[in-house]
Order: sequence, then structure tokens, then C-alpha cells
Amino acid sequence: MNLKQTLIIAFTLGVISISAWEFYWRSQGLQPNIDDNKNLWANQRAKLENYDDKTVVFIGSSRILYDIQLDIWEKETGTNAIELATQGASPIPVFRDIVENTTFNGTLLVGVTPPLFFASANPEAPFNKRSQSLVDYDKKRTYAQILNHKLSVPLQQNLAFIRDGDESWDSDVDLKTLLKQIHIGTREGPAYPPFNNFEDISLDRHMKMPERMVTDTAYANTVKKVWTSLLSGDMPPPDKESTTNAFVELAEKFKKRGGNLILVRCPSSGLFKEIESKAFSKEQFWDELVTKTKAKAYNYQDYSQFKDLFCPEWSHLAAKDAQFFTKELIKIMKADGALTNLKTN
Amino acid sequence: MLFNSLSFVVFLVIVLALYYSKLFSWTGKKRMLLFASYVFYGLWNPPLVILLWISTAVDWVTGKKLATEENKRKRLYWLLLSMVVNLGFLTFFKYRDFLLDNFTTVVNSYGYGYHAAKMDIILPMGISFYTFQTMSYTIDMYLKRTERAKTFLDFALYVTFFPQLVAGPIVRAQDLISQFYEEKRATVNQFIWGLFLLTLGLFQKVVMADTLLSDTVDKVYGAGKILNFWDAWMGTLAFSGQIFFDFAGYSTCAIGIALMLGIILPDNFKYPYGSLGFSDLWKRWHITLSTWLRDYLYIPLGGNRHGVARMYAALMITMLLGGLWHGAAWTFIVWGGLHGTYLILERLQRKYIPFKITAWNGMFLAFTTFTCVNITWVFFRAREFKTAWNMITSMFYLNPDGDKVLASFDILKVGIIIGILFLCHWFMRNTSVEAVSKKMHPWALGAVWAFMFFLIVIAQGSGEQFIYFQF
Repeated sequence: MNLKQTLIIAFTLGVISISAWEFYWRSQGLQPNIDDNKNLWANQRAKLENYDDKTVVFIGSSRILYDIQLDIWEKETGTNAIELATQGASPIPVFRDIVENTTFNGTLLVGVTPPLFFASANPEAPFNKRSQSLVDYDKKRTYAQILNHKLSVPLQQNLAFIRDGDESWDSDVDLKTLLKQIHIGTREGPAYPPFNNFEDISLDRHMKMPERMVTDTAYANTVKKVWTSLLSGDMPPPDKESTTNAFVELAEKFKKRGGNLILVRCPSSGLFKEIESKAFSKEQFWDELVTKTKAKAYNYQDYSQFKDLFCPEWSHLAAKDAQFFTKELIKIMKADGALTNLKTN
Repeated sequence: MLFNSLSFVVFLVIVLALYYSKLFSWTGKKRMLLFASYVFYGLWNPPLVILLWISTAVDWVTGKKLATEENKRKRLYWLLLSMVVNLGFLTFFKYRDFLLDNFTTVVNSYGYGYHAAKMDIILPMGISFYTFQTMSYTIDMYLKRTERAKTFLDFALYVTFFPQLVAGPIVRAQDLISQFYEEKRATVNQFIWGLFLLTLGLFQKVVMADTLLSDTVDKVYGAGKILNFWDAWMGTLAFSGQIFFDFAGYSTCAIGIALMLGIILPDNFKYPYGSLGFSDLWKRWHITLSTWLRDYLYIPLGGNRHGVARMYAALMITMLLGGLWHGAAWTFIVWGGLHGTYLILERLQRKYIPFKITAWNGMFLAFTTFTCVNITWVFFRAREFKTAWNMITSMFYLNPDGDKVLASFDILKVGIIIGILFLCHWFMRNTSVEAVSKKMHPWALGAVWAFMFFLIVIAQGSGEQFIYFQF
């Protein structure tokens, strides 16, 4: 057994095959990018332990993550943003974490996406479990996990095939996900269409819709297909009363200690808008939440400048529209005196 | 720290660079290895390193006293001190909730309405492994079967040596401490072979266990439904593959890493799914635990020296406690009990219905053993008896209308992987990877190695924990 020769052969073939894999995915249009994952979230959560009077915290689901552009927000308001919105999840577990485990009493913007927000107050419900799992991960994160994340960032930034997401929509070229796309027959029911990635996120969780979603309609339509298949299934009825009560209880505690609570309802279109209008009417859900919470609240439907904004896949704003939405929203809030920790000249 | 993580790659490169540099004497290198081992453990949860220190200190002092003390009663007291500390840690951290739950159930069955407060204490990683390892030293010292460690550094490194600290192999003092007495340096061939074993272990863990099998297992055992015959069997077969690849993968990594340092660790797995019966299985599966249980439990309980009834009782107690070692739950005890029952039935068969094993009935016997092992895995994997019972009834075709949760591709994938795994274990049962590799052309072995490396990289495991870390 000539092990030296074996090692040289293995090393050479290994490097060649990995390079070929990288070139193949680049030829398919994939570019290196950072994935939104529990470590990025936990890094933001760690910042909240050292907040100051310039800190503004964002919680909610993916809509506020995509639609509020943090660079514009920080520039226009002179504040420092902490982005704790969680994709595909209810903000209530994160809000509970902030209220019960921190002393933060600055400005907190809560994105309200009705199908997620009002789904259920049950901690075992998927939309609650997803955000609770991030809260739990932050509490239990080990030094080894912190180090692994730091080491993975340069790889994610330089290699297109490297993915480090936690959810099925993050990680589309790892071996497990590729195997999941093989379907033979219909034994377990119809197969879901592939959930193509449409994230462009920075290390401080500044999310932008990639330009491809605007220029490549066919690509954007693949995401619409996923939404259609998800929304066509049987959904349990919303639990308005429990979710509203749970939120109001936390809101009262937060405001009591001086916190500035702001509710934001971000735009949607197409199938989402249709379903949200029918099953989560503004009057019955949003207005009631605002009344009970007694918080400052901004719903895109109340402002004419937001009526033609473009959501390439019905649920999140294209990058340019998100920039416009952010700027206009800040103007409206400033006019209202809603932002308590603005920069002073 | 996990072997299948980026931080470990950096850690290992630094350790190897320091180990093979000329900066340190042999004592300095051992100090560096000890410090690295504490870093390896502490990066998970620093305060729990204190438990390692206490265990090390108590057993070092105990060993020192047992080396000179001749008074039998005093020797026994020193042994008891070591047992109380080590088993005390194990009981407090691992079995406290289990004992409390059972106590509460019993008390409440008499109508007391007692409610015990849960303490939510973290289970220190690998506690079952390192406590058993240090206890083997004090027991061997008590029985005068081993020499006292020459220095505290050698002993501390024996307890904490990072390749095998959290999931074995559980190494005996005379096999490891003595290797620390003289400077060790891997030969070039040993180093490369160690690297190959590390790749093989990672391939088993990251590709086979985590990428190809774990989802099927989770889907079946997390379904919360009564399942179809095929789904129940495929989920269980997938688990038999997952747990083998996960644990054998860890052991292979540990052996490989140690070899890169010039340290030899014993084999922990020898193609267990090619076993001819259950006695054979326990000589091939988690070998260092089964020999530990044999030497420190089965034989002290009487072994086969006091008649058949006592032997069967010793066998059953050993396997029940072996089950409990794996986890603080009744399902693990049932798993151990089933293995104990199989072992007793096998001995009865050998006595009353003996037969000669040939190539053909051997394969049938191996297949039967593998099938029976799968029945036991149901109790090992299921979190509760209800799930286990539903799985067993489905596997015996008692739920023909059960739900289908697996896709056809999952069934095909598991069928092929487990089929190859079984055949591989059968044909490899009397040989080894090293022996087979020696017969291969360097190009062929290099291509296999590169292929495993490529699959590890594209699988991009997200640092899943090894299953045995929780034991």
C-alpha cells in the first residue's frame, strides 16, 4: 500500500471535483451569498444586551425583514438597528423574550403579517416554534458554535455552493436538498415545487430582494408556485383572541417600562393580498389589535403612496420599492412624532 | 467541539502543528495535548470542565492510595470514594429526572399528589464515557490488575484525551497511559492512514447518517401516526444504519485522529450487522463498552462460574444496566432486556438445538440476527412506549391500513443503503478496512478517498451532534 501516492491522488481528485462542482453551480447562475440563519439572528440578539438610547429593534416576520431597508433607516433616523425579525414565524415568542429577558425600553417596531401573527398562540404551533427555536438557540449557543459560524462566513462569501441556512428555502444545493428533489411516483402525495432562494442578506441581517426576482419572471414565478401550493392546503382557523391577548399583555409590560411600541403592516399583493383581505380583514384583525394595544400603528393600506408597490412574489417588496417604502414610512413616522430616539442636530 | 465542524479542522491543524513542532519536549507536548483537550471540551460548556477536573483528581488520589495501601477495608473505602463520586455525577446529571419521575409516579399511585420541581440541568457531554473510563482505572487498581499512572499529567491526559473523550472508545488504563510514557510520533504511513480514517469516519457521519438516513428516521418516528408496514420497517432500518454510521463514524474519527498523533486506540466496531447471533454481535458492536460491562459487571456478578440460573441472571442484569447506561428511560431498559433475552435464548439454542454454521445458513443466521436487532432498535429510538408499540405492530403487519409518510424514493434509498450495508458487513466480517485497502491499487484507493471527501464537502453537514453524545 503506497499511502503517499494514494494521498496525492486523493488530494488532486478531491480539489478537481470540488472546483468542478463550484464552476457548475456558478454556470447555473448561483453566486456566493450569506444565508440567514440562527447564528446571524443570535449575533443581533447579543447586541441587545448592550443597547443604548440610539437602538431601534425590529421584530416580525420576513416582510419587515425585506421591506424595511436598514441602511436607509439608520441614515435617515440616526439610530442603530437590531434586526430580530424571523422568516415564516410569529413575532410573539421574540417579543416575549425581549420583554421578559431584557430591560430594553427604546423603540420596537413589530411587523404584523396576519396569517403568521394571528395563526395560533400555542407554543407548539409551527410559526411560534420557529421563532422560539431562535430564542432558545441564542440562550444555548456554545463557543464552538460561535466559532463555527465565524469560520463559515468567508466560505459562504467566496464559494457559491456553500450554504449555511437552517430552512428548506435557504439551502438549495447541498446534497440532502438535491436528493429531496428526486421524486418517484406519488406515494406520499403530490410533491412540492422547489423553493428557490431569494435572499440577499448581509451579516447584520440587512435583507434585500435579489435583482433576479425582478428581471427573471420565470424565477419569481417558481416562488409564487410554492406559495400557491402552501396556501391551497387546509389551514387551521386563526386564533385571533389568544394571539391578540398574548401580544397585548406583552405590549402593556413593554410600554409600562417606557418602551416605544410601533406596529407596521407591510405590503402584499396577488394571492396573499386576496387571502389576507378575505380571511384576515383589516377591521376585524388589524384595527382590533391596534385598539387593544394602544400603540402607534402604520398599515400600508392607509397610505396612497404605497398602493402600487411591487412584490415580485406577492409577499415581499423588490429592493427599490423597499427603499421607497422605508423612506416614506420614516417621513410619516417623523411627522407623527412616533420615533422617540431620532438624531438631534 | 464536534469532529464534523469547521472549528475542529482549525483546532486539529493547530494541535498537530504544535505536536510536531520542535517547540516542546515530550512533557510539554503532553501538557499541550491536555490543555487542548480541555479547550475541546470547554468550547461546548466551560464550567463543565470542572467535573472532569474533579473526576481526574479523585481517581488520581484514589489510584495513588490503592497503589500503597494494603489494608483491605481501607482499600475498599478508597474504591467506594471513586465509585460514589463518579456514579454520583452520573446519577445527578443523567438519572436524577428519571428517578424523580418514577418516584413521583409511585408516590402518586398511592394518592399523595406529589409534584417534583424539574431542575432542567444540562447533561454534560460524554459523562457516561469518561466516568466509565476513570472507574475502570480505580477498579483495576483495586484488583491490582494495573500499575499506577507514573505522573498526574499522564493520568489527566488518559481521562481527557480529546479524540475519545466524549464518545469513546472507552480505553483501559494499561492500554493508553503506558503509551504516554515515551514520546510518540506517527510514521508517515500512520499519519496518512489516520487521515484516511478521519475522512472515512466523517463520511459515515456526515454523508451516510446525517444526509442520507436521518430525515427518513425523523419522518417515521416523528409522524405521530400508526404507519404502514413499509414505512415502519424502512424508518427502523434507516435508524439501524444511522446509529451505526453515526457511532462507528465517531469511533473511526477518534482512532484516526489518535493515530495521527502516534497513539493507538482499540477498535470499537467490527462489522456488527454481519454477526452470527447476539454473542457475536456484542463482540462487534461498541466493543469497548461490552468488554467493560463484561469485566466490571457480568464477571463480578458471578458470570458463568455459579451455575446456569445465576449466569442468566447476571447476563440479564448486565444487559438491563447496559440499556440504562444508554439513556435514562424505560425504553432503553426494555432495549437492554430484549438483548438479554436474545442472549439467553441463544445459549439455550446452543445447548439444546446445536447446529453447524455453514456459509449458507450463516448468511441466513446473520440476516435473522440483523432482523432481531432491528426490533430492539425500535425501543432505542422511540421516545415513548406508545410510539414503539405502534411501530412494532406495523412491522408485524398488524396495521395494513397504516399511513404512508415516506416517498417511494426514500424507500428505495434506504433499501439500497441498508442492503449494501448488510452485505458489506457480511463479506467484511473476517477482515478489515486496512487489509482490504492494502490489496487496492493506489489509484483506486485514492479515488475512493477523493469521492468520500467530495461528498462530505457537498453534503455540508450543519454540525449535527453525534447521537452517542447524549449517552
